[in-house]
Amino acid sequence: MPAASYEGQRRRFVRMAIAPSLIFLLVVAGLPTLFLLVTSLTPGALVNPGSLGDFSDPLRNYKLLGGDERFVGSLRGAGAAVGVHGGAAGVAGHGARAAGALGAGALEVAAPPVRDSDGAAAHRGGGDLEAGLHARHQPRLPGRAHARLCAARAHHARRLRAVGHRHRRHLGVGAVHLPDGAGRAADAAREYVEAARMDGADAWRVFGHIVLPYIAPVLLVCTLFRLIDSIKAFPLIFLLTGGGPGSVTEVTNYYAYLVAFNFGELGYSSAITVVLLVATVLISWGAMRLSRNAGATE
Amino acid sequence: MSLPTSLDINPQRRRLLKAAAASVAAGAGGTLAFPAIAQAKPFAGVKLRGAAYQHGFFNILRKYIPEFEQQTGMTVDLQLSAFPVYNQQADLELSSGGNSWDFCNVTFILAARWVAAGLLANLSDFAADRKLTPASWNPDDFVKGAQLPYLDKAGKAYGFAWEGGAMLMGISRMDLMKKRGVEAPRTFDELMKAAEAIHGQDGGSGPVTGFVSSNLHHWFLPPYVQGFGGDFFVNPPSDIKPALDSAAAIQATDFYSKLLSRYSPQGVLGYTEDQARAALIGGRSNIFIHSSSWVSAMLTSPDSKVKDTARVMRMPAGPKGDFPASNSQGLGIPKNAKNKEAAWEFIKWTLSPELSARIVKDTGHPSICRRSVIESAEYKRINTINGQDLGKLYLEVLEQPGKTHNYMAYRTVKEFPLVGDVVNKAVERVVSGQQPAAESMKAAQEAALNALRRSGAGLASTKSS
Repeated sequence: MPAASYEGQRRRFVRMAIAPSLIFLLVVAGLPTLFLLVTSLTPGALVNPGSLGDFSDPLRNYKLLGGDERFVGSLRGAGAAVGVHGGAAGVAGHGARAAGALGAGALEVAAPPVRDSDGAAAHRGGGDLEAGLHARHQPRLPGRAHARLCAARAHHARRLRAVGHRHRRHLGVGAVHLPDGAGRAADAAREYVEAARMDGADAWRVFGHIVLPYIAPVLLVCTLFRLIDSIKAFPLIFLLTGGGPGSVTEVTNYYAYLVAFNFGELGYSSAITVVLLVATVLISWGAMRLSRNAGATE
Repeated sequence: MSLPTSLDINPQRRRLLKAAAASVAAGAGGTLAFPAIAQAKPFAGVKLRGAAYQHGFFNILRKYIPEFEQQTGMTVDLQLSAFPVYNQQADLELSSGGNSWDFCNVTFILAARWVAAGLLANLSDFAADRKLTPASWNPDDFVKGAQLPYLDKAGKAYGFAWEGGAMLMGISRMDLMKKRGVEAPRTFDELMKAAEAIHGQDGGSGPVTGFVSSNLHHWFLPPYVQGFGGDFFVNPPSDIKPALDSAAAIQATDFYSKLLSRYSPQGVLGYTEDQARAALIGGRSNIFIHSSSWVSAMLTSPDSKVKDTARVMRMPAGPKGDFPASNSQGLGIPKNAKNKEAAWEFIKWTLSPELSARIVKDTGHPSICRRSVIESAEYKRINTINGQDLGKLYLEVLEQPGKTHNYMAYRTVKEFPLVGDVVNKAVERVVSGQQPAAESMKAAQEAALNALRRSGAGLASTKSS
């Protein structure tokens, strides 16, 4: 059977297999979302049942949100939490991208560009410490010898980069689930740290260019978990502080709950929830992009 | 006056005839007797469903319900939930026009909303119908102050009060007060001085705090605001523009917040009523100003350690007057209930003078709303403890809003829950040191105006007062 056909069949099988789950998800998540969206376009007060069908001013609730200090305050609180976590995610993603740019080595900036036999850039900052040292200290060889050396360096650098990525993958996934993987990753990182130190890198540089890229995937996963926690932080606040003292611990979803169930304003509460939903989707999208970027460097 | 007895009831004509017919049938022969008696029960086979929140009264009532079931032939399914849970359930059930409940608790703070929205059945019609209600049941016997929340503008009742709450001051450590030469406070100034004098004193098992309260600031703060000459709204219920940034409201918030931040236990902002009550009856806090049933526990609760040193009295008066708060909880029938007549039968029985008197006599439960019972010699005997006539205090406070201008009107407007929540937040900000009183109450005023505009409340003016 041709590979493409097999792949196509495999995809179709996966689609069919997950179809029931997708339909179920659509029902349990899509219908409430639709209800929230529709309700948010009405005044929807519990004590005035007719108001649930009043679409005369559909953006009324959304217009009111901006002037609602408690809503803005709750967003500010949630935003701070998301900012901290998102910032960490950004650092992790940036670190991962930096690692990709730097390749497997640490001090490639020290290595001048080398050219292959066609004169095109073979690699930029190959990251191979030895190659870098060679490039600095050995005279430029003419003709075929130079081309062979460049090709060898480029190959060596690519191989090291691949090894480095595998080790990072070990650290990112294996370190969480497999102590063995963590050990191997730590060993690999140690090699690069030692190499960097030999080349005179200070602690900040080692951390920024080796350690951080290595732990970036783990950081990203942790950050996403914390991000999810900060968005759905409801039970502890409900049980412990009630959003107080004042409104300092009042997060947006708790405020939406109060508005719906204590004040009976379903329409306004739905508008708050829709805004929260949109914000969550945007943040998740951003986090996924960061995650994908980090993954792409692997 | 003596407690009413079951002999005072005028039986319904239909029930009398049925009972008579059943008696004749019973006398006629053994095998016919049982079915005939069963038929005499007017609501035989009806299953009555009702809901309320967890409260001592309903636990007491459950012990009597089998008697009611025996008399009427119906079965009663009474579901009790925690207070906030019940309120949410009830809000949804009533506003969605549900018919799963035949009767329900009409919560004080939500009563105005429910009545205004027409979510409850008019009980005045049931009470006035002599086929359904004997004259001796007398709806006018309910203390007027307790009934106010359940009346519409035309005076029709949509609920009848099963419990009244009268704000009284409980002092747990009169022994320490005497030792320090401090009299029981009668004014706001004296209250602050008494709290200061006792705070930190050794109570035998540790230091005593001068004051304690719970997190329901929208209930505790208004008597101070009114005592300083202000109110929550400009002129409730006709003008519901908030007046939270008035000089009196700011002064009251500052005063009340000082009591909490300086002379109350650490963490008082998170105290529930139960925790505050425990601090009071354990002698760990000296003064608690709350509804009668909470503070009189010092004298009546078996857990009380301060029975000999406790005193219950009227709360102190402010420079502009004496405005102790009062409230009540009622029983009502949802507009779309399936068994309205059966539900009325249950409410009528639950709140009858006879059962109220029995409950007082059997359990000592004091906070009923039948004047004839509260004024009876038996009630006075049971509720006079350590020489303190709790019944008299209770009735005085409960009737006060009905005697002068209805200063409790602020709490009966349907927008109160919104404004009350804003006030809670404002007090918390002051007590936790986030903002001074003036700043916090100005922010509260703006927040309340915004909330009322959002809810569609008709405000005469939207400018801050």
